[in-house]
Amino acid sequence: MRNKNWKQILLFLAPVLVLFVAYFVYPLGFVFVTSFTDWNGIGAMEFSGLDNYLGLFGDETFRTSLGNNITWALVLGFVQIPLAAGMAMILARKPKGWKMFRTVYFLPNVISQVALAMMWLAIYNAEHGILNSFLELAGMSGLTRNWLGNMTTAFPAVIIQQIFYIGYFMIVILASRMGISESYYEAAEIDGANIFQQERHITIPMLKGILITTMTLALAYGMRHFESTYLMTNGGPAHATSVMGILLYRNLGALNYGEANAIGSILIIFGGATIALIRWLFSRNDNTSDSVQ
Amino acid sequence: MRTKRIILILALVLFALPGMIWAAGGQETGDQEIVLKWPTIWVGEDSKAATVAALVDEFNEMYAGKYQVVIEANPDYDAYRNKLNSQIAAGVVPDLFVFNPDPTSFSFYEGKDLLMDFSAELAGDWGDNFVSGSIEGATIKGETKSVPFEVGYTPVWYNMDIMEAAGVKSIPATYDEFFAAAEKIKAAGFIPTSQMTGGTNAWTSMLWFSHIAASLGGPKVWDKPITDPVFVQAAEILQMMYADGNTSKDAVGGDAGVAGGHFLAGRSAMFINGPWYIGRVRSDAPDVYAATKIGPAPGAAFSGAQIGFPQTNLAAGYTDDPRKKEAVVAFMRWMTKPENVKAIAFDSGAMFAVKYSVAAGEKVDQLQAQFMNAVNDASFVNSHFQFNFTTDVVAEFGQALAKMALGRATPEEFVQQIADKIR
Amino acid sequence: MSSLTKELTLVDILAKIGKWFYILLFLFMTVVPIIWLTISSFKTNFEFETQPFSLPSVWQFQNYAKAIQMGGLPRLFLNSVIVAVSTTGLNILVSAMGAFAISREKFRFNEALLNVILAGVLIPIIALMVPYFKIVSTLGIYDSLPGLILTYAAINIPISVFLIHGFMGSIPIELEEAAVIDGCSFAQRFTKIVFPLTKPGLVTAGTFMFIYCWNEFTYAMLLTSSESSRTLQLGIRFFKSQFVTDYTSMLAAIVITMLPTIIVYIFLHDRIISGMTSGAVKG
Repeated sequence: MRNKNWKQILLFLAPVLVLFVAYFVYPLGFVFVTSFTDWNGIGAMEFSGLDNYLGLFGDETFRTSLGNNITWALVLGFVQIPLAAGMAMILARKPKGWKMFRTVYFLPNVISQVALAMMWLAIYNAEHGILNSFLELAGMSGLTRNWLGNMTTAFPAVIIQQIFYIGYFMIVILASRMGISESYYEAAEIDGANIFQQERHITIPMLKGILITTMTLALAYGMRHFESTYLMTNGGPAHATSVMGILLYRNLGALNYGEANAIGSILIIFGGATIALIRWLFSRNDNTSDSVQ
Repeated sequence: MRTKRIILILALVLFALPGMIWAAGGQETGDQEIVLKWPTIWVGEDSKAATVAALVDEFNEMYAGKYQVVIEANPDYDAYRNKLNSQIAAGVVPDLFVFNPDPTSFSFYEGKDLLMDFSAELAGDWGDNFVSGSIEGATIKGETKSVPFEVGYTPVWYNMDIMEAAGVKSIPATYDEFFAAAEKIKAAGFIPTSQMTGGTNAWTSMLWFSHIAASLGGPKVWDKPITDPVFVQAAEILQMMYADGNTSKDAVGGDAGVAGGHFLAGRSAMFINGPWYIGRVRSDAPDVYAATKIGPAPGAAFSGAQIGFPQTNLAAGYTDDPRKKEAVVAFMRWMTKPENVKAIAFDSGAMFAVKYSVAAGEKVDQLQAQFMNAVNDASFVNSHFQFNFTTDVVAEFGQALAKMALGRATPEEFVQQIADKIR
Repeated sequence: MSSLTKELTLVDILAKIGKWFYILLFLFMTVVPIIWLTISSFKTNFEFETQPFSLPSVWQFQNYAKAIQMGGLPRLFLNSVIVAVSTTGLNILVSAMGAFAISREKFRFNEALLNVILAGVLIPIIALMVPYFKIVSTLGIYDSLPGLILTYAAINIPISVFLIHGFMGSIPIELEEAAVIDGCSFAQRFTKIVFPLTKPGLVTAGTFMFIYCWNEFTYAMLLTSSESSRTLQLGIRFFKSQFVTDYTSMLAAIVITMLPTIIVYIFLHDRIISGMTSGAVKG
């Protein structure tokens, strides 16, 4: 079956495809090929088969990092997205000052990560951090600790600061939620449905597409998470907060391009598999919809 | 219809605007002047920035119409280094650049026609300007593909106000004295040492480790494998510095701001850093500045050691063009001319691999003078850990140290974790 | 919204309490950083390092003077505006066209193409520094604004296509079918129907794009070298030197660079979004 508009379709797709091939297909080809070599970026590439991959999976630090990335993905996808969706649902009902809230929640995404990391470092600091001061004020000085310098609390501490920045996803969900006609809710109101029932039976089904879209994005961001961890702990202490992006970056710095690119490849493969799995799970639950989201 | 027109106009503007700017910027003057671009970190807040810029201006004036050096500002060192690595892997080398001499960067030497070799030029009188041994340190297999420039010395900074308040009379000469002093310092309500496991290299603690290793193992300690008992013993001492409140509570995971911050605030008694930190202490914490005494770390089998290392070398991209090469050499000679180096040293407090003489009566900063004395008085000078290992091993040092400091690894396991990273 | 006439049930009261707790908790978590950042930018470095949560003893206005003067912010500001505006326009136009073809037409590789492009979202962009440097220097656009614009626009294609495609999916296909009967061409379906109706999505994607360009550091650093093509984020790093960081001047520079994005966001995004959503919602 050939679409009769194929010429126009091709014309419309051409710019995207050209840029995509130049900036994704070719570089990824480069990453995949070099991942099977021992290369320092200077001398000749030496083919080394699966050595880089085997080395990585034999390395405890790498396995920790992979696990941490999966945790990141799950937390962003299944905690942050519901939080963002909840806020979008609240704001869509236009409580007092909702426009201001909508703007303010987004602002952390505008601030440079460098500044945010500096603040959280100061909050979690063991000597003059505000979190410990609060705990002491509340009479819980037994709970004070070096939050980012502790094997058990460092990783949760890094994740938690990120969860609150829901603005990015909330904006997307809210924009979609505002497109749902008020008449549905008015009808439900007349039928005696309370707010929770309305959200459950109108909003969630109608936002399903955008929820899966944002969830997929959140999972992808979790798998490739790098920046705030790099700025706050650089993977420490003792690799407790390490993620694959940090190891990749460190290998690039040490001119181990083969190993760095093997990490990049694993990241893409694992991430792709996780996302494919999630999308498959959602589409299986809903056979009536053939939508791609 | 309106939408369509808007899109069309938008598209036109988008493509045309940057194109025009680019075209306007792209017009070269087209004369015979050789322009050398120098992406450098010595800009912005760097203490060497002003003098380096003045020297470049002077050079450009001297060779007006012939050579011109253009500074391209890259103040963030980590980003600079990253960019350089990517550029070199893509086969593009800047005309002039600087690098941290460590085994990772020295692998640039392996590239064929990547860096310019200065060995022939340095063999002449130019080479006499340098501190003995420094050119050898920049030479591999007979090729000197970089010019030694800035060096770093990192003695121990003692806050004598704290020491006196704690009843410690003098700088501890042995590690027994050191830990006895630490007890008194704690009793007086201060923090004995500044430490950190964070950042890219656990800087302050990495320097403590280098000092301890020098005291235990002597001048040739880095020739030994990292699993040698001497390093295990050094790790034990470093572990003790992290234990029992001998350092701040935020040392594990802390970065240079944490380690330096406690010293600046007059909370910690002993700290390690290079001469570049003098300016910061002088301006931010005048009391600490006045109380600081520079000295060696405690001795053990060996005493009076100092830690010193090449900090930054100058390098240039390889070129076939003899005129360009002449220009590069002229600039390198200019930057390493003793009086020019002296100017940078006096303005910034930094130290160099180039010899220059200081006339009597010339005013030197008192801490800088202490630094020079500490170096001159040293029984021997060892490089630091970082100089001897590739950057991924250096990164592992901080991670392994945190593990040991948290009681999750023994000193043996600590050195083993580092050894496992060495290729 | 005539809830006043109704009797409040327990569920309503609980919902109300929960709602305001939720709103205020997140408000606190988002406002604190901004306040902290602003206050800190008026401190001395010594105060910042030793008492990060106190007020400055003397407000250091010179941090701002220093930030503007030393980082060369005005020039970099202009560059950032050019890059962000051009990239956003280019990226959104290209992505919208692509998303339109994929979402509104059926052809053999529809689904596959979408999934391949979406996979781009996963890619750790830092892994691609060497190939990107090669592309840009081969095209002869190293150290130029077009080099940055093209790279940024390309890097963000997956996310933009993804978002725009998601929004396009919610427009009823019947609208277009009716338009085709009225004699609408393929291109007109895009310009007259889908493009206007997807505006909330386009604006959202465009906002993200703009903010990305404004805050991007790694590639701005890699792909430019002279001041004539550098962006604001590089100016911020002027306060971070090899050994010593001037934190508070850096924070001042961050506040200065943050303001335009906040203004752009409040005025552009909110205006457009509210304009669209309040008017044109039909069942």
